[in-house]
Amino acid sequence: MRVFGNLVKPYMVWMSLFIVIPMLLIVLYAFTTHGNSVMAFQFTFDNFGKFFDPVFIKVMLKSIQVALITTGVCIVIGYPIAYVIANVDERWQTLLMLLVTIPMWINMLVRTYAWISILSDSGLINTFLKSINIGPLKMMYTDFAVILGMVYNFLPFMILSIYTSLAKMDKAVINASYDLGANTRQTFMKITLPLSMPGVISGVTLVFLPAVSTFIIPKFLGGGQYMLIGNLIENQFITVGEWNFGSAISLIMAIIIMLSMYMTRKIDKDIVQEAQGGNKW
Amino acid sequence: MKKIGFSILLLSLMLTGCQTSKPTLKVFSWGAYIDNTVIEKFENDYDCVVIYDMFESNESMYTKLLSGEKYDVLVPSDYMVQRLIDEDALQALDYTKLTNASGIINGLLNREFDPTNTYSIPYFWGNVGLIYNTTIVDQTDLSQGWNILRDTTYKGQVYVYDSERDVFMVALKALGYSTNTTNMSQINKAYDWLEVLDKTMDPVYSTDDVIDNMIQGNKAIAMVYSGDATYITAENPDMAYYVPLQGTNFWVDSMVISRDAKEVDLAHEWINTMLDPEVAKLNSVFVGYSSPIQTVFDDLKETDFYGLSAYTPRLDYPNDEVFKYNEDIKRIISDLWVKVKAN
Repeated sequence: MRVFGNLVKPYMVWMSLFIVIPMLLIVLYAFTTHGNSVMAFQFTFDNFGKFFDPVFIKVMLKSIQVALITTGVCIVIGYPIAYVIANVDERWQTLLMLLVTIPMWINMLVRTYAWISILSDSGLINTFLKSINIGPLKMMYTDFAVILGMVYNFLPFMILSIYTSLAKMDKAVINASYDLGANTRQTFMKITLPLSMPGVISGVTLVFLPAVSTFIIPKFLGGGQYMLIGNLIENQFITVGEWNFGSAISLIMAIIIMLSMYMTRKIDKDIVQEAQGGNKW
Repeated sequence: MKKIGFSILLLSLMLTGCQTSKPTLKVFSWGAYIDNTVIEKFENDYDCVVIYDMFESNESMYTKLLSGEKYDVLVPSDYMVQRLIDEDALQALDYTKLTNASGIINGLLNREFDPTNTYSIPYFWGNVGLIYNTTIVDQTDLSQGWNILRDTTYKGQVYVYDSERDVFMVALKALGYSTNTTNMSQINKAYDWLEVLDKTMDPVYSTDDVIDNMIQGNKAIAMVYSGDATYITAENPDMAYYVPLQGTNFWVDSMVISRDAKEVDLAHEWINTMLDPEVAKLNSVFVGYSSPIQTVFDDLKETDFYGLSAYTPRLDYPNDEVFKYNEDIKRIISDLWVKVKAN
């Protein structure tokens, strides 16, 4: 066992170098004033006070709203796909899962750029619509474009995690349900769905987290006027040069994310316990 | 285990083997700001490797420098040159090595941001104006100048450049103030001007994507840099360039050598090459921005860019101003611009 214990050490070094130290720096920046040298810190809460401006609160609420819609759409589209894949012949499953993951081989920036030329006023869709005499649809720089971009980019995460939990499910439980007289609908609602909830929950985490903090998708598909929390942070660091305020926003964001992780894990536990303890037959 | 150790050793040997003894010049410039054949030719002529990195705004360039990245040659705009000089980040140019410097248009030299051109030398220059679709926009509406951006006839037809410096320049000029004002009530009025634009016009705040969008004719009016306007008007004959009489920002993107440059001689060679009339012509034709070399400028305005007003920005027009760097004002307008966009 000791040998295996040693194997953890490189990971610990990696963690502290690339996760813990940057996090500490963000905390440090968030609580200090602008422009002081590393040697003379001046602690302050102003960076947080600055955030509680109605304008910024609105940006945050908008980000959460967009991320929730994205997650919802991903579940609605992703679950049936994962369900179908998990239930086809095993030879096909590998191929289908490959097809789901293939888009992820290409850089996200490139794929998001591609949507611009599909959605723009003189893009693929509008050129087609024009040829059958339907006026140009305004799609770029709208909520629709941004959410479409997010769903497109993050959907594979949802499918993958739901598929994993469906595939590893014990088929004997489902057969038992049929043997005991339950129909397909009842079996799905009472057995399959509850048992796949851990997959859905981890899918929700995997989609919600990147969706709430992304800045490149709203920047490309929403334009500069489409401001989400990720854009606000990027803006503070790159354009404004206010690293302290940017760090404070990042920290607030991190806290919200941790809270939502805690909540989803709690829900996860409750559901699984209910599913496993609810053997009323 | 031994095998793994051996492979790692082999791999590291291979990696170090790739490093050449050739000198490496690191250049940091704007995206799409050079004819790439020029870089290749320079590498061959001077037997060196050129690492050519690109940025999309002066601010993102500055942030990268702040994070510890080192470059030999930079191409910041006027006010950023001033900031870098103030912060002692540049070194004086050695004019004995810049034999081609004599060809530069006189009016571009000795500007306030670097009064004797000790640290900087022009690369491209121009101003900010409006590109408009002549088939949609009524010529008489142009007399409103910058206020056409708030003319609701063109609601939903407007691109505004997403840069706080430039939008505040437009608002301040529209109101008749100086772009370099430090008067807070003027700045607040400019903020209100932009809020009205944001609320009533349904604008799209874009950056370089505006170039393709205007070539395709997606909207009627856009705020652009003159060099991009040259390119757009050359590609789409329906488009024309107009610079409001209320005045605009006049800018000079300049080459500078950073204080901690490793290849100082090579950096001078690079700058001198860029000022060579032949190279300057290649670059100017390729990107559409106005060349600072008098002979090239005179040549191109009669040939490749004949009749395109965007290629010949007005020089020394009294209402036009060069930006001055002011840390406090910059922070204030950055915050205000975020508020306009987020609201």
